[in-house]
Amino acid sequence: MVNSKAEALGIIFPNSYDALIPELVTERLMASIPFASRYRMCDFLISSMVHCGISNISLLVRQNYHSLMDHLGSGREWDLVRKKGGLNIFPPYAQKSVKVYTGRIEALESIKGFLKSQTEKYVIMSDSNVAVNFDFKELLNRHIESNADVTVVYHKQEIPEVFKRPNGVNKEYYYTFDVADGRVKKIYINSIQSGITNYGLNIYVIEREHLIQLIEEAYVHGYTYFVRDLLVPQIDTLNIQGYCYDGYVAHIHDMKSYFEENMKLLKEENLHALFDGNQIYTKIRDDNPTRYVNGSKAKNVLVADGCVIEGEVENSVLFRGVKIGKGAKVKNCVLMQDTVIEDGASVEYVITDKDVTVTAGKSLTGNDSFQVFVSKRQTV
Amino acid sequence: MAKELVAMLLAGGQGSRLYALTQKLAKPAVPFGGKYRIIDFPLSNCVNSGIDTVGILTQYQPLVLNEYIGNGQPWDLDRLYGGVHVLPPYQQASGSDWYKGTANAIYQNISFIERYDPEYVIILSGDQICKQDYSDFLRFHKEKGAEFSVAVMEVPWEEASRFGLMVTDENDKITEFQEKPKEPKSNLASMGIYIFNWDILKKYLIEDEADPNSENDFGNNIIPNLLRDKRSMYAYRFSGYWKDVGTISSLWEANMEVLDPEHSGINLFDEEWKIYSRNSGMTGHRIGDDATVEDSMITDGCNIQGTVKHSVLFAGVTVEQGAVVEDAVVMGNTVIKAGAVVKHCIIAEKVVIEEGAVVGETPEDGGVGQVATIASYVTIGANAKIGPNAMVYDDVEEGGEQW
Repeated sequence: MVNSKAEALGIIFPNSYDALIPELVTERLMASIPFASRYRMCDFLISSMVHCGISNISLLVRQNYHSLMDHLGSGREWDLVRKKGGLNIFPPYAQKSVKVYTGRIEALESIKGFLKSQTEKYVIMSDSNVAVNFDFKELLNRHIESNADVTVVYHKQEIPEVFKRPNGVNKEYYYTFDVADGRVKKIYINSIQSGITNYGLNIYVIEREHLIQLIEEAYVHGYTYFVRDLLVPQIDTLNIQGYCYDGYVAHIHDMKSYFEENMKLLKEENLHALFDGNQIYTKIRDDNPTRYVNGSKAKNVLVADGCVIEGEVENSVLFRGVKIGKGAKVKNCVLMQDTVIEDGASVEYVITDKDVTVTAGKSLTGNDSFQVFVSKRQTV
Repeated sequence: MAKELVAMLLAGGQGSRLYALTQKLAKPAVPFGGKYRIIDFPLSNCVNSGIDTVGILTQYQPLVLNEYIGNGQPWDLDRLYGGVHVLPPYQQASGSDWYKGTANAIYQNISFIERYDPEYVIILSGDQICKQDYSDFLRFHKEKGAEFSVAVMEVPWEEASRFGLMVTDENDKITEFQEKPKEPKSNLASMGIYIFNWDILKKYLIEDEADPNSENDFGNNIIPNLLRDKRSMYAYRFSGYWKDVGTISSLWEANMEVLDPEHSGINLFDEEWKIYSRNSGMTGHRIGDDATVEDSMITDGCNIQGTVKHSVLFAGVTVEQGAVVEDAVVMGNTVIKAGAVVKHCIIAEKVVIEEGAVVGETPEDGGVGQVATIASYVTIGANAKIGPNAMVYDDVEEGGEQW
């Protein structure tokens, strides 16, 4: 076999960390949250995998996955229409468990038959709350060279604020690692340590046969979580290697971070860091180019196709098909697809979901620490 | 199953009057309107009209065009039965031939059309910017009981003698055809778009091929022959936007008209009649802190730090700080460096305009006038000057001039 194909299949958990950002997931899931003017969160991981020769990618969805299915379709835009492999979306297996699974072990157990019938030697698993232009080939090579049982990916950064907030509503798990000579010595669950940590990105590599064996054992014991119930107890017996990712990471874990991560891309170095690697694929909408009509003003913006700008826009990220009317003012905003800001309206520090209309002359203002959010299809 | 209507798209023209722009690609592949190529218009019209079988006849510099069309998926023309097919001239047992004329190109592909056993064939031209519903044209053809119909546009009488004209009676029946006459009897100009009953077309193609004196051309041979035989021929009046972009000035003008859809009538912002294209896949465009963008179209991958006024920019164009772009058509991945001034011109793909260079100038009378043109992959050196009448095929060195 030629060397362009990676010996791995990809598994993506598109619902991970949904609970942290309820505003955006009422009608979708983490993987289909719009990001960076024309993408959805899952585009980054799927494209990265495809560019590394992974052409067998499965998404284990839990709930609210209509928008994801609409976005991905047959997977053509990601070059994933394949006779072997390609794109699979696994909905929950209703007959088997009345309760929809909560952790990775249950989810993987439900596709055990699929996993057994595949031929790729390795499995790469990932959540979808990170936007990265990731080199999975290098990760896979490092996994193989280090003779690891499991490789976990981490990024040197502070633990996101939302997790450390006292009395927070967070019920999600996150992990930080002690790593020595590449080997993970200790795994911390929901640490509240301050300063730079080895923060887990929830990207894992493991041999397929080994994964099946671990899942079978764990499932019998009624375990739920892959890291908490499987890796932590076996940290001494399994060779768990840490892989430090030092590229650009956009992390979505609440509305504030959603806003900030979009805004960060207005800085050219960040935009380059995220997009200069491999091309990120996304669904094609066949919009016309964006039109700046006489009298419009634009300053420091990231804009997708299909917009018509007649008013003023500054420090903002505009998704496809946004209309800004005459005399309207848009400042420090993230406006998702087909948002309409009518003539003379003014919005500042506002995030609009898809198909929002702000009617003529109306004004909406948030501030840099709290942005006004207008949910899907609302009219202000 | 037979197809009712098969489209044959003539895309073999060299487009010699586009000079530098068609050195490496055929005219239908010339970029247009920020993210399209000319051929996107007839292809999108086909799919929007319900035509799912299209043969594209290529001959001149087909490489870019072939790659662009691919399997036809961007136009939804990747079909199990039908779909889009690129048809270059090919070798046959009896020998091989280039396409000698428009009619000969179709003649050589009779067997392609026969595979679909159509009732009607529509002949399209790959060098026009036009949004047209061919299904309405077909409805007209059927209602009139025509054997041949041609789409026509009313043109001003004073310009009529530049066109091939259809003289019709009160029922739109064609009584006479005048090719660029000195004394026009009609102002209905042929758009070069025809619907034939397939049996009629086939008969006349075979006859025409057998005539050694024929130029094998629809306008010069096939249509006069149909008239001679008093076939049932009708003119279908089309009144929307239509532009033959066969010259540098008309191509520039059509691009500028895209910027003013309210007056020009070419609206690319039409959800009901989308123009499809192969997308660049680049990320959204960026407009910087000190940039000025007025009355322009900008698409994915552009990075604007300078001034852009009344211009059409294609995917991935960079305009550095202090650069000025005015009344310009700038095609994909071109870089305009700091302090360069680019006015009233067409710049093809992957051109580099170095710092301080000046390209073109705005005519004093504000008309179309001269449009400076730069071929793809050319570098214009720092502080070079390119005159308004220039046609630049090769690199211009630093401080150099070309008029």
